[in-house]
Amino acid sequence: MLSLHTFLLFFLSLSGLLHAKSSSGDSVLVVLEPARQADFSIFFDGLKEQGYELTFRGPKDEKPIVAEHDVPAFSHIIILASESKNFAKDITPQSLVELMSGGTNLLMALSEKQTPLSSLASEFSLILPPPGTPLVSFFPERKDPLSMIPIDAPVDSLILSPKMNPVWFSGVPHALGSNPLLVPILHAPSDSFAADTDSNADALVDAAEKGGEGLWAGSQLSVATGFQALGGARATWLGGVDMLSDKFAKKSKAGNKQFARDVAAWTFQESRVLRIDSTTHHLVNGTTPLEQYTINDQIVYTAQISHYNAKTSKWEPYSGITDMQLEFTMLDPHVRTALLPVAGSPGTYSVTFRAPDRHGVFKFVINHKRKGWTHLFSSTTVPVVPPRHDGYPRFLSAAWPYYAGAISTSVGFFVFSAAWLAGESRESKKAKKTQ
Amino acid sequence: MPQAIPLPSDLSPATVANTASLLRIIALSLISGAAIASRLFAVINFESIIHEFDPWFNYRATRVLASKGFYEFWNWFDPTAWYPLGRVVGGTVYPGLMATSGVIYYGLRALNLPVDIRNICVLLAPGFSALTAWATYMFTKEMKDESAGLLAAAFIGIVPGYISRSVAGSYDNEAIAIFLLMFTFFCWIKALKLGSALFGTVAAVFYFYMVAAWGGYVFITNMIPLHALVLILMGRFTSRLYVAYSSWYVIGTLASMQVPFVGFQPVSTSEHMAALGVFGLLQIVAFTQLVRSHVSSKQFQDILFVALVSAGVLGVAAFVGLTYKGTIAPWTGRFYSLWDTGYAKKYIPIIASVSEHQPTAWPSFFMDLQFLIFLFPAGVIMCFHQLRDEHVFVIIYAVMASYFAGVMVRLMLTLTPVVCVAAAVAFSSLLDTYLDAHEPEPEASATDSAASVDTGKKPKKEKAATGSALADLVAAATPTKKGDAPKFKGVYGTDTRFMIVMNAIAMLSFFVFHCTWATANAYSSPSVVLASQNQDGSQHIIDDFREAYYWLRQNTPETAVVMSWWDYGYQIAGMADRPTLVDNNTWNNTHIATVGKAMSSSEEVAYPILRKHDVDYVLVIFGGLLGYSGDDINKFLWMVRIAQGVWPEEIQEPNYFTPQGEYRVDSMASNAMKNSLMYKMSYYRFSELFGGGQAVDRVRNQQLPKEGPTLDVLDEAYTTENWIVRIYQVRKEDLLGRDLKSANAFAKGKKRKRSKPASRRRALSAAAST
Repeated sequence: MLSLHTFLLFFLSLSGLLHAKSSSGDSVLVVLEPARQADFSIFFDGLKEQGYELTFRGPKDEKPIVAEHDVPAFSHIIILASESKNFAKDITPQSLVELMSGGTNLLMALSEKQTPLSSLASEFSLILPPPGTPLVSFFPERKDPLSMIPIDAPVDSLILSPKMNPVWFSGVPHALGSNPLLVPILHAPSDSFAADTDSNADALVDAAEKGGEGLWAGSQLSVATGFQALGGARATWLGGVDMLSDKFAKKSKAGNKQFARDVAAWTFQESRVLRIDSTTHHLVNGTTPLEQYTINDQIVYTAQISHYNAKTSKWEPYSGITDMQLEFTMLDPHVRTALLPVAGSPGTYSVTFRAPDRHGVFKFVINHKRKGWTHLFSSTTVPVVPPRHDGYPRFLSAAWPYYAGAISTSVGFFVFSAAWLAGESRESKKAKKTQ
Repeated sequence: MPQAIPLPSDLSPATVANTASLLRIIALSLISGAAIASRLFAVINFESIIHEFDPWFNYRATRVLASKGFYEFWNWFDPTAWYPLGRVVGGTVYPGLMATSGVIYYGLRALNLPVDIRNICVLLAPGFSALTAWATYMFTKEMKDESAGLLAAAFIGIVPGYISRSVAGSYDNEAIAIFLLMFTFFCWIKALKLGSALFGTVAAVFYFYMVAAWGGYVFITNMIPLHALVLILMGRFTSRLYVAYSSWYVIGTLASMQVPFVGFQPVSTSEHMAALGVFGLLQIVAFTQLVRSHVSSKQFQDILFVALVSAGVLGVAAFVGLTYKGTIAPWTGRFYSLWDTGYAKKYIPIIASVSEHQPTAWPSFFMDLQFLIFLFPAGVIMCFHQLRDEHVFVIIYAVMASYFAGVMVRLMLTLTPVVCVAAAVAFSSLLDTYLDAHEPEPEASATDSAASVDTGKKPKKEKAATGSALADLVAAATPTKKGDAPKFKGVYGTDTRFMIVMNAIAMLSFFVFHCTWATANAYSSPSVVLASQNQDGSQHIIDDFREAYYWLRQNTPETAVVMSWWDYGYQIAGMADRPTLVDNNTWNNTHIATVGKAMSSSEEVAYPILRKHDVDYVLVIFGGLLGYSGDDINKFLWMVRIAQGVWPEEIQEPNYFTPQGEYRVDSMASNAMKNSLMYKMSYYRFSELFGGGQAVDRVRNQQLPKEGPTLDVLDEAYTTENWIVRIYQVRKEDLLGRDLKSANAFAKGKKRKRSKPASRRRALSAAAST
């Protein structure tokens, strides 16, 4: 089924109908109550317009299955049935993590209720407030309910477009754990807090008197968070489904449509996607990679890095990384040096360094992890060996005492032998004469 | 002259000599045949396979040598050993064995005999045992005569003490080293007897071969100087000794320095200093002799005194000074452990952990040498009787080798040749005495006695020593009588002769039976393949090792790094062809201790070590199901000790015992034991095998808890038929950046505890102020 999709899409993209698609595939499964499908029509139409193939499925439907023989059937999964307590048996927190390890990207929304998704969220180091406590804010003054909040987009966001209108939000916030793989997308406003809207304000006052201990409040909370998993797949958690809804998108001066677009672009690996096309290494005055290097060799290491351009659906050479490092590692990095782009040849990063004066099995390691970007990792093993038996300098000026010793002994031996032999003959002659 | 048995008298001496010579050649050929044949049990019972551990490396190296040539072998850097340190094989190996096989291989191919290199390796040791028999014959011939030589050759050909290291498939350095040892000694004795620079040079050449072949060459390096020194102290300095020693030492030392692994050791380590010192002493003594022949006696004594004192003081001062400065390396740990058997256990557990380095148990002397062990002292005492220069050598050799064999099991091998030589001397004296048909004539003087062991050359000297107990012993052991005694002893009639000879033949027969039995049962197991008996007595082969190694070879990527205890490193490299962390060439204690630490720590501690070393698979040997006692749990304490030597704060041996001080693996086991990676890997899912019944470890005879250990950082990859080898795969880091324990708990569906955000007291006030 997957292959059929890609096959069709290949032809479609050839015909030029599509103007954008993901770097990891275009099939999208949307898990959503069928009745609510119309509430998100703007978001879905936007995705379809870009060329995504949407498949809809109710949370309790058995078909279409998400993975067949451990092979994920879809490239991306959107779970908007956030209030559903029961999913079909092939959608569990465990199976979703399994799908991510197969490269599937996830876009999920949380709700006030305790659902399977909220237990999954804690695996992503998201810390949720107690059930039934949505984010509320009294500012700015508005006619809308307290739990419906306009949030200004951050100025220097990694994921969202610059100069966006405020994004309307309604749902639960979450605190972020210490996991470095988290990529905050949208923080809660600093004057907002999570609270049970039905109960009185006493609990809040109590918490505030304790200096904020136990209070879910402030801009440290997040309402939309991305997650760059180690395998390359991405996941995005939204505090509530309404962020993507038509209702919010149609509000005046709402940035929700653009927000949905940007979040989907990042989650579905359209933007900020890098890859290492190839790496190679050779001696300074060589061209082909050697099977092993000798200690103190001058080695050139080159990497080709590409960036996915969603507009053209092509990988393009990318020279924009300025902080990449190359490590030459045996247990510990023996050499750690900047791997900088080569001027004049796009996408090429190169460095020349001297191999350490230590033999062993070394690795060229690129380990470039930056928030919001795909991780770049490459490891090439190469032995570094001592010089060959004939690779050492042959004639050492420091060894002159030894050369002199050897030569003088040889000469001395020769002279002694000559003298001895000559002397013997003379003696024997003398002896003969005396006789 | 009366005769007990009539002898033919019409044979010309030439005929007798020719016949004896022919018989000797036939006997030597038969001895060679027997020596080779008795070593083939391993091939017949099992198959043509390389045995044990070290031979697998030698075999692998030989294959490299055979396929790539000598220079590539010399420059071979093995990136798969000691990952990621690698091993400079060419510079850290004694290449003699591989070079020998390589020469044979190329020689046979030049003759258009394409023999598999494996078969050359398997059969090299039996082939060289035949040469050893010949070398021992030559050596013993110098001690006594040809008949003693033949007996010594027969003894060394089949004695279990030597067979234990030279059965077919035991492709180790010792396989050729014993031949080289005996032949070097023979050349040395010959050079000493003749004062021949030629034989001294031949001895040096074979010494070089020995240096290239085995680390035990140090034995020769110290034996020959010791012999020379003792001869000088006995006042037996001759120009023959000077020529023999000087030619051997100079050429031998220069040659030995050409072996890359030895390098400058002959002039920079303590083990080699004795040879250098004796060389210097010989020069001084020779110079003294020269001076003595030119100056008067009084002057000479003064000069000698001053020279000796100053030379001695200077020499010792120079040695101490250079050792202190570090120019001369101090004695190595292995050397200290020769003098203090407890030394290694205290300071270098890695040496003590090798079973070959344990002190020898008494029964093994009888097991390895049988009746030779009680003929041996008799032979040594007979050497005192004549006490020619070469006999001094045998006596020194006997004393030194006896001591070393008592200290270290593996040095039994160096004792065996001298035991054979001494026993042959004693036994042939016995036979000479009782097979001689001549009866003593009552009226004849004692010196006419025809007893073939003629010892009456120096009656005065013997008389001077009669006071000592040793001299009494010598006298008692001597079949002839003292010069002044009017009465004489002798052997009359055929009945005594018959009894003694029959007794001797019976002893020889029992010896042959014992050797055959010991070889077949004790020394012919390849240890790669195990054998057990079925109930009907038929043989059942347990082939778990090869099963596991071939699984690795077939199912893992070629670069997959395998971690195991160092015992199995060479086998994994040889049979599975995968990189290993540590192997039997135990040159880096820290790296071995790292593996020991990973094995003896908990999973959380071990995992970063495994990942840092790029370990993909971990291999453990587990004998609990089958009762195979050489498994890793029994070796575990050595891993703990070696790790403790490097990380005394983190690993402590007492933690692995119960509070009562017992080594247990059952439910009473200590926490450190139960949490260690080794314990978990050994007993993972072991109790499931018993289907709810009580799981029993048949090696330790302990019952295991029903709830077996759990593993979070490893996945079971393969377990062999009899569970002897278990292979685990190391998990990669978790996709979501969690630690593997919680990732595993999540995968099993366990609920995670609710976490709370970190306290933000500071951040809140800071945020409020802005």
